[in-house]
Amino acid sequence: MMRKKVGIFTGAALAAFLSITTVGRADTISYADAVTTLAKECGSDIKKFCSRENLGNGRIQACLEKNASKVSPTCTSTLGSVMTSIAQRQEAQASVFKVCQHDISQYCNSVKGDGNILSCLIETKRVDNRECNQAISDAGWR
Amino acid sequence: MAKDRGNKMIVQGLHISVALGLLLAPCVASAQQLDNSQIMGTLAQVRSAAPAVDVALLVEEANANVGKGVAALPNWNKLSQLSQLIVEIDFENNSTAIEPESYRTVGLIADALHHPDLFRYKFLIVGHSSSTGNAKHNLELSQKRADAINEALSTTFAVSPDRLFSVGAGEEWPINPGHPESADNRRVQLINLGLLK
Repeated sequence: MMRKKVGIFTGAALAAFLSITTVGRADTISYADAVTTLAKECGSDIKKFCSRENLGNGRIQACLEKNASKVSPTCTSTLGSVMTSIAQRQEAQASVFKVCQHDISQYCNSVKGDGNILSCLIETKRVDNRECNQAISDAGWR
Repeated sequence: MAKDRGNKMIVQGLHISVALGLLLAPCVASAQQLDNSQIMGTLAQVRSAAPAVDVALLVEEANANVGKGVAALPNWNKLSQLSQLIVEIDFENNSTAIEPESYRTVGLIADALHHPDLFRYKFLIVGHSSSTGNAKHNLELSQKRADAINEALSTTFAVSPDRLFSVGAGEEWPINPGHPESADNRRVQLINLGLLK
């Protein structure tokens, strides 16, 4: 009984670990690539239904959602994934200096300025912190 | 950035005006060539002696000199000395809506402004039109279009709004003064205004 429980727990933990790893490793894409996809898959719908609307303040998204019944299914599904991509990249960029804090204090303590600290992290071979390295990659800063 | 058909701002390419008094003379490059490293490389070069620019004064000067040109005005004149690049961003006719074909360019700018090398800097977006149409209208429309780019960067792409400024130049600063009506004059300048205080 006990063993079974442990087994289940291990299984669940493994699954959780794998899913975290997968999420952590999922490549984020640049803002440019994200909106290039939006333009490619939704460009004709935007021109048809939202030609007076702008990219800022979520107006294109709101307009495409408002016209969901007329907008192409590819565009509708692309819209969601584009917004997720942008949010993931923003999250990754906001997290780098937090995730890498230990390595910064260890190896780049005397370095001033965010750009220089980033260069120091990338150039310091001893930074073998997987999370920190992954965070820099996810931020698109390599 | 005028109201005539197409609103193509055919490629302006990149340039850095380094020396004092250097004329704006961008080399022609295709839009496909514009990439993140070019934007970073250009905008990250900041001279320590770069002049401070008051954006409110730019607006004031432009509004007071419709039809007379802005390049020689005291505050506009300072812009030539700052690190900058020129990009093509297309808009719907007589509208502030950025065409989907130009989303990528705005995204590229967002990628650059989010890099730690540029974290500490503030930027000015300058909208230009050709001379097609009414000068006052062109000035107003280019201001609104520069504002639209500013808004997209600060909302959709979450660039901190205190780093972004925008101003319209209308048809007052043609890059091709011999042909003020030419589409080449429709363009967007992105200028590094120096350190965020």
